[in-house]
Amino acid sequence: MSTAEAEAEADVATAASITIGKPAPELRALWLQPETQSRIWSHFAEVTPSGEQAAEWTAHGPAGGEYRWRTAVTDSEPDLVRWATQDGADVPNVGELKFRPAPGDRGTELHLDVRFDPPGGAIGQALSKLFHIAPREIVRTALYRFRALALTGEIPTTDPQPAARKGGEDR
Amino acid sequence: MRALCWNGVNDLRVETVSDPEILNPNDVILKVRLSTTCGSDLHLIDGLIPTMREGDVLGHEFMGEIVDVGRDVTKVAKGERVVVPSFISCGKCWYCQHDLYSLCDTTHPKPELQEPLLGYPTAGIYAYSHAFGGYAGAHAEYVRVPFADTDCFKVPDGVSDEAALFISDAAPTGFMGADFCDIQGGDVIAVWGCGGVGLMAQQSAMILGAERVIAIDRYPERLAQAEAFGAIPLDYTKVDVIEALNELTGGRGPDACIDAVGMEAGGTGLQQAYDRVKQALYLETDRGAALRQAMLAVRKGGTLSILGVYGLMDKFPLGLLMNKGVTVRTAQQHGQAYVPRLLEHAQRGELTPAALATHRFSLEESPTGYHMFKHKDDGCLRAVFVP
Repeated sequence: MSTAEAEAEADVATAASITIGKPAPELRALWLQPETQSRIWSHFAEVTPSGEQAAEWTAHGPAGGEYRWRTAVTDSEPDLVRWATQDGADVPNVGELKFRPAPGDRGTELHLDVRFDPPGGAIGQALSKLFHIAPREIVRTALYRFRALALTGEIPTTDPQPAARKGGEDR
Repeated sequence: MRALCWNGVNDLRVETVSDPEILNPNDVILKVRLSTTCGSDLHLIDGLIPTMREGDVLGHEFMGEIVDVGRDVTKVAKGERVVVPSFISCGKCWYCQHDLYSLCDTTHPKPELQEPLLGYPTAGIYAYSHAFGGYAGAHAEYVRVPFADTDCFKVPDGVSDEAALFISDAAPTGFMGADFCDIQGGDVIAVWGCGGVGLMAQQSAMILGAERVIAIDRYPERLAQAEAFGAIPLDYTKVDVIEALNELTGGRGPDACIDAVGMEAGGTGLQQAYDRVKQALYLETDRGAALRQAMLAVRKGGTLSILGVYGLMDKFPLGLLMNKGVTVRTAQQHGQAYVPRLLEHAQRGELTPAALATHRFSLEESPTGYHMFKHKDDGCLRAVFVP
């Protein structure tokens, strides 16, 4: 692989892992709830449930750009969930979540990998410039939020809270 | 409501801001009864910690009365008088369940800001920069407290507001530092720093059975308070600390040394001048005179317990620890693990944290309070704010 190809690969593939102290079946069921998807991806895109295990996504670019796509689950096994965009996606992508037992009393490891295929190809338009968020953060933050939701039933937030800016409230 | 806000380096103002709201089902809203200054706030005020934003509400050490309750809160109720540790902990994750509350896995709302610095996000903390979660602080009339069932502790009768206040941070941090020393009969414990945390570490070491506690500082009022708690005071501007510790321990050295000073340690001589210049130029954030001295003083095979807050430090004499076989223990406070026990010690009069409250101000006067605290005017040990 050339340096340019390696850089392009690093730019479009975003993989991250997290460990959650719960059994895999419980985590898998929570992941597949439509409301969960809306909540854990909200730093990156608006996700609206649409039919059986499908969703409409709207992500925003830095200069007011808006990208839309629809995903549907393509594989669903006890230790694996895969989804992919359907025809007509502004930014085609595929995602894969694997569940593996963690050692000792640590619960379950989640390995998440989302691959984007930006318009014009990876070289044509760097993913990091397409969205308003670094590619790695897209998946890291989603997993972090998912863990908080799975363990505590809520996602940590400070929005809104008191601050001496923007009329006394930070949003 | 009114709140003390950070508006830039050394620019604190009391301003009118929105009241906090319940945002999550495990939240409560506290009407703050008392809050206090902490030495680590000075790092924020002096601009040594990045990711503060203009308008942030300060204050992470506080107690108050619950006035509103989220729908999933079951263990505490409206009207109760509670103390809250400064780190926000869920009580459900692996870290909380192993009593490592300040490392909670689920309470940081902005992990992407902290993960590049530390590798993994820690628990969120009130008013300690956005890299540490960006939660609004408690130098205010009201504060939102997440995970109230884990983080709010009812203050029992017989424990005053002022005593409970310091069981939010200074007392559990000091107690944890003494707990790290695994104190055995006959142990001599030396504590660098006689601020709130250092004094609480000294009293805690005595509760945990230390034979003798030695307190090191240079401010006479602080050394007098240490002596009143039963420690042997050492003024590092008047004696050679290493020689004095040698004398007091029959040449063995202290069994454990606790650093309750941190990045703004004072010192003497050339090393101090070198450290201060580098800090001023942002080449490093830490001066570290106290920590270096503690590393030299601790006995072979002893314990170094680090409570001081540090950022970056170069010229760190690691070989000293390695060759002496020193055990290093450190953490931000795992307060939730200690607060119930500390409230009992306070109720029995064994722990007397109210002694830290040397100066009292209204919230409106809090910038003056911070000024006095920073410059240690009039023997100010801690400034307490009453909203």
